[in-house]
Amino acid sequence: MGKATALLHREHDVAEEDVLRANLYRLLAHVLRQAPKQSDLDMFAAMDGDATPIGEAVGALARIAGKIRPETIDREYHDLFIGLGRGELVPYGSYYLTGFLNEKPLARLRTDMARLGIERRVEVREPEDHIAAECEMMAGLILGDFGEAFDLDDQRDFFKAHVAPWARHFFTDLEAARSSVFYAGVGRLGAAFMDVEEEAFSML
Amino acid sequence: MSAKRDGANDARRDFLKLAGLAAVTGGALTASGKSAAASEIPVEGATGYRETDHVKTYYKLARF
Repeated sequence: MGKATALLHREHDVAEEDVLRANLYRLLAHVLRQAPKQSDLDMFAAMDGDATPIGEAVGALARIAGKIRPETIDREYHDLFIGLGRGELVPYGSYYLTGFLNEKPLARLRTDMARLGIERRVEVREPEDHIAAECEMMAGLILGDFGEAFDLDDQRDFFKAHVAPWARHFFTDLEAARSSVFYAGVGRLGAAFMDVEEEAFSML
Repeated sequence: MSAKRDGANDARRDFLKLAGLAAVTGGALTASGKSAAASEIPVEGATGYRETDHVKTYYKLARF
């Protein structure tokens, strides 16, 4: 894409539905990167659900967020993702798809990131196929954080190649994990959102 | 975008409008009192990776 086109894209408003998608990706990334703080919980507790699968998951998450203490979630996060040696879940695409870290799915993701101009911050050593990183990348593609807002074809290709093959499976595991309480709500919301993304992209 | 493509995207947008996505921001917006923007959800940076505990776990696992 030429520079002029890219600038044009940035000046265009992103459609409201797409801003909402980015917002949900950001929420998921935020709570999967680290346990939420009390201020986050207050914000989540104020959310209102509706009768859709996403809305029901939001309502459930809001109820949990209104009751649970940050210290409890810290422990839950630790048991789920850190553990002794490893947590209950290993939230990396490569691990989900191959049973090993640092395998071909990560290499393919890095290739696409380079092509799309997404760079890891220098101080970051975390691998790119962490679920939170992939959610942030989706939000960035939607909103143009990487210099240009990417069109729906690019978003769909990235989603199909890197997110869809494992993210729903991960969110379902998160919902069902032994240690999950708050994160059961996150898993349910993530799974419902992945279904919506899948169906919405299939309409193009 | 072609007219056909515009139509497909209209259908997609209609589908998304009914998907309950607004439930997520609704609360976030009420809490922050701001207009819809992705920055409602605090992030550490655009691709804000940090060395957190799960990164340390990753390195432990990666040595297997």
